[in-house]
Amino acid sequence: MNHPALRYVIVIATAAFLQYTVITQFRIAGVSADLLLVIAIAAGMIGGAERGAIVGFASGLCLDLMVTTPFGLCAISGLVAGVVAGLLEDATVHSARWLTMVIAFVASSAGILSFAIAGTLLGRPDLLSGHVLTILAIVGITSAALVFPALRACRWADPEDALLRAAAR
Amino acid sequence: MASSRRRGRARITISLLLLSAVLLLTLDSRGSGPVQSARSAVLSVLSPLGSAASTVVSPFRNAWNSAFDQGNLKQENETLREENDRLKGDITANSIAKQQLQQLLQLVGIPFVGDTPVVHTRVVSGAVGNFGDRLELDKGSNAGIERNMPVVTGEGLIGKVIEVSENRCVVSLLSSGTFRVGFSVVGTAAIGIAQGSGGDGSLRGTNIDSRLAVAVGAITATSGLAGSPFPPNLPIGTVTAVRTNEAALESTVDISMFANLNNLVYADVVLWKPAG
Repeated sequence: MNHPALRYVIVIATAAFLQYTVITQFRIAGVSADLLLVIAIAAGMIGGAERGAIVGFASGLCLDLMVTTPFGLCAISGLVAGVVAGLLEDATVHSARWLTMVIAFVASSAGILSFAIAGTLLGRPDLLSGHVLTILAIVGITSAALVFPALRACRWADPEDALLRAAAR
Repeated sequence: MASSRRRGRARITISLLLLSAVLLLTLDSRGSGPVQSARSAVLSVLSPLGSAASTVVSPFRNAWNSAFDQGNLKQENETLREENDRLKGDITANSIAKQQLQQLLQLVGIPFVGDTPVVHTRVVSGAVGNFGDRLELDKGSNAGIERNMPVVTGEGLIGKVIEVSENRCVVSLLSSGTFRVGFSVVGTAAIGIAQGSGGDGSLRGTNIDSRLAVAVGAITATSGLAGSPFPPNLPIGTVTAVRTNEAALESTVDISMFANLNNLVYADVVLWKPAG
């Protein structure tokens, strides 16, 4: 129970459950928040690009099991979001709430764009339609809002890494 | 030194994960069985939870929807009043037109679903992700539903079944652009291939012989040609625009689907499989 990997499994499973049962019911312009993407972003911000990539890949695979788009696209999206969040967090000199929200927005946008572009390359041009801009805006804003509880969940999952990185800053 | 080693390890991990994702995409594009089975298993486990959660959160969801539609409500109310007045006048004309349409469909041999058995289902949830239109219906393989069976409403074709568990099935909507359907233009010899554009109920029809006249307003239905995954004569929609490329001897058309995909509550799965 104390192993970070096991705790991350619990965090991802809980996020997947909430995404399927609750989050998708609340939509703005047909778009809902993406809790699994937020977990990937938070993991990247807590544990760096590598941790973000692993958690993003796992949470993306989890979402892949619940949607009908090509299997692996959400994994790429989560991976990219986690890596971008980790790199941006490393590049920032000081920490502030607004900066955390901006990083969450940018990382989620990177994840969504990578999803749409990879899908288009796989013969799904409909994924790169004008609707992507709406998805970018709404998922970006909701990610920025949900990143704080997600950061707490990831700090619980990996307290040592969170402390080490906080001390190194 | 330690930092550069850690960065190198991170690059290798990220590259391996990317390769794994590409491998999964390749397996899925080849119709890998384990992926379908895993998705069906997850559907079986999560569906009852999803139905229960949908019931529990419905009051909150209704409040949420009202809150985010507030700005449009006044304008929508005025528009609806005007429209209501206009529609009252149109009712008589429409009832006559409806009779004429029924007669026309019978004349050109569109029996809709005809004698093919259907399973009446209720829509239990919409899309989980933000990409890809899908619906989840409350019946599955126990009711005889199989993958690739067409799904219709009283107005026409809306999609096909792509995942089935014992008591649930998932429908990919025709508008999503994830699959194509062969269609014929009623009253002409024109046939083509229609595909959604990823948005609302609009489709793009291609591969139509430009020498065959297709008029705006013409009715389209599934062609059901050999090898088609859909039976013939399921209504799809009306032609809203026609573009002709004389050089390529090809016309393309825009099609507005008959079925309204917003707020679907019920849908019928047609228990039909292509011959052979």
